[in-house]
Amino acid sequence: MKGAQFLVKALEQEGVEVIFGYPGGAIMPVYDALIDSKIRHILVRHEQAAALAADGYARASGKVGVCMATSGPGATNLVTGIANAYMDSVPVVAITGQVATSLMGTDAFQEVDIFGITLPVVKHSFLVRTASELPEIVHEAFRIARSGRPGPVLIDLPKDIANTIADYEFDGTTKADGSAAPGKEAIARALKLLRASERPVAYVGGGVGMANALNELKTFIETTGIPAVATLKGLGAIPTKHDLALGMMGMHGSKAANHAVQESDLLVCIGARFDDRATGRLNAFAPHAKVVHMDVDAAEISKLRHAEAPVAGDLRDSLRALASPLEIEPWRRKCVAMKKANAWDYNAPGTDVYAPDFLKRLSERAGENCIVACDVGQHQMWVAQHFHFNNPAQHLTSGGLGTMGFGLPAAIGAQFAFPDATVINVSGDGSIMMNLQEFATLRRYDLPIKVVLFDNSALGMVRQWQELFHDRRYSEVDLSDNPDFALVAQSMGLTSFRVDRREDVDSAIDQLLAARGPVLAHVIIHQEANVWPIVGPGKSNSEMMDEVTL
Amino acid sequence: MNTLRLQLRVKHTEGALVRVLGVTRRRRFDLLHLRADATEDGNFLEVQMTVQADRAGHTLLAQLAKLEDVSEAEILEPAALERDAQAASFGG
Repeated sequence: MKGAQFLVKALEQEGVEVIFGYPGGAIMPVYDALIDSKIRHILVRHEQAAALAADGYARASGKVGVCMATSGPGATNLVTGIANAYMDSVPVVAITGQVATSLMGTDAFQEVDIFGITLPVVKHSFLVRTASELPEIVHEAFRIARSGRPGPVLIDLPKDIANTIADYEFDGTTKADGSAAPGKEAIARALKLLRASERPVAYVGGGVGMANALNELKTFIETTGIPAVATLKGLGAIPTKHDLALGMMGMHGSKAANHAVQESDLLVCIGARFDDRATGRLNAFAPHAKVVHMDVDAAEISKLRHAEAPVAGDLRDSLRALASPLEIEPWRRKCVAMKKANAWDYNAPGTDVYAPDFLKRLSERAGENCIVACDVGQHQMWVAQHFHFNNPAQHLTSGGLGTMGFGLPAAIGAQFAFPDATVINVSGDGSIMMNLQEFATLRRYDLPIKVVLFDNSALGMVRQWQELFHDRRYSEVDLSDNPDFALVAQSMGLTSFRVDRREDVDSAIDQLLAARGPVLAHVIIHQEANVWPIVGPGKSNSEMMDEVTL
Repeated sequence: MNTLRLQLRVKHTEGALVRVLGVTRRRRFDLLHLRADATEDGNFLEVQMTVQADRAGHTLLAQLAKLEDVSEAEILEPAALERDAQAASFGG
């Protein structure tokens, strides 16, 4: 058996059903082996989209996403997607072809040190030096990607090794390493703080979904009565409509969420990492609170904020151990009242389509289990604020890296994970152009993905910052020469239509949801529509700016 | 500035030492001294490094300890660092 054939066999053993990739010279032996495999290869139109689709597949399904590219530019095009998976702790295995070992280090055609280039953005990586190492490397890659705090793993496979004939053997498949249970002393310390607290808040991050701890979180919240706020990636861990879910915290968080955190005397951080977009000015974040920090990654605990009660280990065990009733009824009632008092107002002036209202209506009608993949910018924040999620796996968003162009490939990945699901890509006129070529992938595989493209003829979030924080000195944000996106989409095989009046929103949503194949709604919004509230750069989360007229 | 001395046992695999140094740099610790010796069987590197930063040493230790190739990581006692400095100043 050739190395490439073994690689494919090993991928089958790991349960891989789909690979997103793009062929080329150095990876050709693997593509040859794929012909005889039951694994489905999805040909994207740019390697970045392969990595992002693998990422979206993994986020939606909880399985390891796999992407593949050739050496040199194929491999470097994967890098943004690998970094995206790294920043958001997504299990992805990226396989790159490499020039033959005899050529490595000689600046050969399409040779690049992808192992070295990706070192800062992988959980781990392998360069296959000899054919005999291949079995162990492949399975180690999957074990590492899915264990503990997940992340991307790179396998760089030289062409001669892919062609080497040898007896490759491996018994069975690998499983993720179990995460250690928290220590008894850590739990006791945390319980003591919880029982002494009068104003606790649960600060819920993406780690909860990745740890499959949704049930344990729900039990913890409902048993203790602690109000919960979520990071961007934690949205849906407690369903948005739950009484104790106060919404997203941070720069574009809800007032109820940010006020609750700022007033709290105990912050129970669950699978989150005190990211700057969540905390605002760190030394003014939750200034009266002690911290219980639960995380599977001990390196996150006390990295940015000292934890009086560090609880390293499996979140399911930690949450179970800490779920006991607390005497905090006045605080609970106050938080629920704050949520009600600060509910979103969808009565916007004017006749333009109001994106928050569009998204609220879409959310109400798209079904409880729809999957939304966002790009990055204003529309991303509007989705976080106004879409209702019951599970974090429904909300695919590039949180850590903030990768414009993430949404469409991620939606493709999610649709392959769940062929019958309603998958929506919400994008902007800036972001969509970053991976527009993937419309061709929608057509090729006839994917019924629904693209909602909010078009304000500008790089909206940058424009908003320039308006608010740079004295309206607009620099390189004008996109008024955008193509006619509906026509572009049509030429690439999508059904498309334009929406530019508020009164047409409901019928547009009807049309979008009724479409049987790929469809694009080109939604024109006002150029000066902004995301509110906003915490300005360097400001505390107590200093939320509400809608202002300048 | 905090100065700390770390001792690591690292699997002697592709890029392992570069990975350790990369994490050290990215986490904003300045390298003052580095020594890496392969074990007799060639399977591991015994690494000693002295670094300096404004940040707490435990944050770097935790980041290094979770690398797949790092099998042991510890901060040597500050007293050991002081002893070494004294020894150096006395020409020991």
